[in-house]
Amino acid sequence: MVYTKRNPALLIIGLIMVGIWAAAEFNLMQGYIAHLGGKKYKYASELTTIPLWFGVIAVVAGLWQMLGSHKDGNLDYYGSTIAGAMFILLIAMLVRWFIAPEVAVFSKTLGKVGNTGKYWHKLLGLNYVVIGILVGIIIVNVFRIPAWAQNGVRLSRLGLKTGVILLGTLYSAAELRNLGGLSIVMIGFFVLGSVGMVLWLGARRNIPNSMGGVLSAGMGVCGVSATVASAPVVQAKSVEIAYTIGTILLWGVGCMFLFPIIGNVLNMSHTQFGAWAGTGILNSAQVAGAALAYQPDGIETLKVAEIFNITRVLVLPIIVLWLAVWYVKREDTGENEKVNVGRVIFAKFPIFVLGFILLFALSTTGIFAPPLHYKGKYFDNTKPKTMLTAEEKKVLTDNAGKVKLKARKEALQRLIANGKIMSIEDDTQIRGLANSKVMGKKSGKILKKAHKAVRHTAKKIKAFRKWITWLFAFGLVGLGMQITVKSMRQAGGQPAVIGGIVGFVKASLSLVVVLFLISDKI
Amino acid sequence: MSREGNNGALATGHLSSAGLSALLAGNARVLLASHGTEGAQAAEEAAISICKTWPASSIHHLVIVPKSLWHGMTGDDWLNNGSTRNTFRRYVESTLQKEIDEHLSALSKKIERDGIDYTNQVVVGEPEASLIAAADRNRYDLVLMGSPRPKGRSGLKSRLRPEVLVKSLPIPLLIIPYPD
Repeated sequence: MVYTKRNPALLIIGLIMVGIWAAAEFNLMQGYIAHLGGKKYKYASELTTIPLWFGVIAVVAGLWQMLGSHKDGNLDYYGSTIAGAMFILLIAMLVRWFIAPEVAVFSKTLGKVGNTGKYWHKLLGLNYVVIGILVGIIIVNVFRIPAWAQNGVRLSRLGLKTGVILLGTLYSAAELRNLGGLSIVMIGFFVLGSVGMVLWLGARRNIPNSMGGVLSAGMGVCGVSATVASAPVVQAKSVEIAYTIGTILLWGVGCMFLFPIIGNVLNMSHTQFGAWAGTGILNSAQVAGAALAYQPDGIETLKVAEIFNITRVLVLPIIVLWLAVWYVKREDTGENEKVNVGRVIFAKFPIFVLGFILLFALSTTGIFAPPLHYKGKYFDNTKPKTMLTAEEKKVLTDNAGKVKLKARKEALQRLIANGKIMSIEDDTQIRGLANSKVMGKKSGKILKKAHKAVRHTAKKIKAFRKWITWLFAFGLVGLGMQITVKSMRQAGGQPAVIGGIVGFVKASLSLVVVLFLISDKI
Repeated sequence: MSREGNNGALATGHLSSAGLSALLAGNARVLLASHGTEGAQAAEEAAISICKTWPASSIHHLVIVPKSLWHGMTGDDWLNNGSTRNTFRRYVESTLQKEIDEHLSALSKKIERDGIDYTNQVVVGEPEASLIAAADRNRYDLVLMGSPRPKGRSGLKSRLRPEVLVKSLPIPLLIIPYPD
């Protein structure tokens, strides 16, 4: 079978991308950019690079698809995915650069909401991630995915997995240790708790073992992914699968919108929100969506949420194994069925987690940034960006008497003497001093400048952050295209009742735990 | 022809003179759309009753597997590897096949016990389009189906919408009320 479709769509997509680049490069959309925020518009640099790269790829591939000869084989199969991938990418571009900023402009005209101090779009989390998923859902349900794009839409999963793998470069060992420990405790408690609760409620409401099994995995571990993994093991019936997946999708999409609103109202920190989303949202795709919805222009929340997702997916083979044993025992088929432990673990093991660990390990060797980097920033005073001027030194000397703490005083003296911060420890003291504002506004500015002069951003890490943002945006728009209203409409029956109870208890209880037990930073 | 029966059933479509003659002559060919749910079972019973009245009649049983519904069953899963997803797809396919086989086998036994000529067909596609295509392709005199599931009753929500069917079916459609 030949998968490549002779269709001008990919070529047109490429031309649109190149058109966007040209309009930005030759200042043809200055007026529009001014309308979207002018100097505050954050994507000007992206507009003059990304659409050109991908536009050229799409034009070349589009010409090849239209004019080339295609034969059955790997080249044809993999080549046929380009159109769908570019289709998703174009939507992600349009949403990130134009639609979401347009929503923000409109939201600002409505003014701030009550005494929250936030605009509607901030409060509702209406940013490029959420809007992108919504656009994906609208496309698949209203217009249908065009035949030429269907093969490539599946690549969205690869985008998300690659994003998680690259995220491995952004964790410090301490962060990973602390977040890993926290997620194991939280996920362990809530996964086992919700699996147990579903099975208990199921037994009380007399649902079949197969339905209890598939529902407990879906509600307890990672939503649709767990349902997909466990349905064959517990021999779920077709209607049970449809009910469970419908309930999870409906609940997950609802949570993706509701969680960021609650997080904003409660002013949760990135760590708190990431941990809550990672525990309380049933479906793993919506965990990433909610995390990026809460913090669209940074990835601190995503970093926390994805550690929770990784913990969940690592728990999945264990839960599937346990359900297999549970089901065989409960059903007592008399056929002496044995569960092959090794086979289940091997088949369900998420290989992309190994990629994440590998990238993290490589990152700790200093291959991407000096080993002590934090969020891609590292200390290096051998090439300071600027040195203190004589005038700046005088301002600091005049105000030095206001500093009481010995360590800060000594660090300040070394800074004045050398014109630059001398060590990473001194940098910590100077940053603390600047934040304390004890030396006054002018001195504070000089201290911050001295701090920035010795803090460098690793170029590779910066690039990774950009790629991660795009990979998740791409992946989530594509996943939106796989959420059909037809599947969601199947939510019903006992799974809807049990899922509603367990989902609500899990979300509420994990919110309480996160608010009271997790500090702002890890 | 379009009329509403006393019991809430709706018959619509154009009964050709040949179709009318077939019914009167007692050799009606009934196209039964049923997938074994409660509402559809009522249609099965009605089909048997009608065909018993006209002994030379036959039932062609059409089972439609809604393509877009089952196609979307992997939802937005992204954590699993390809092998797990393939296992799931194969499992859903085999489960549906098994459930359909059981349904067909039970119904065929029931119908053949009454001496009625019975054939069946399973198609994967969109419900209304598949039924209309089946009715167009072959010469039937009547389409028979159960009425949509009332609110509050459990069951899958993918269904044949009568309002779509009445616009396109070339032959009469008889909808049997949902059992109490």
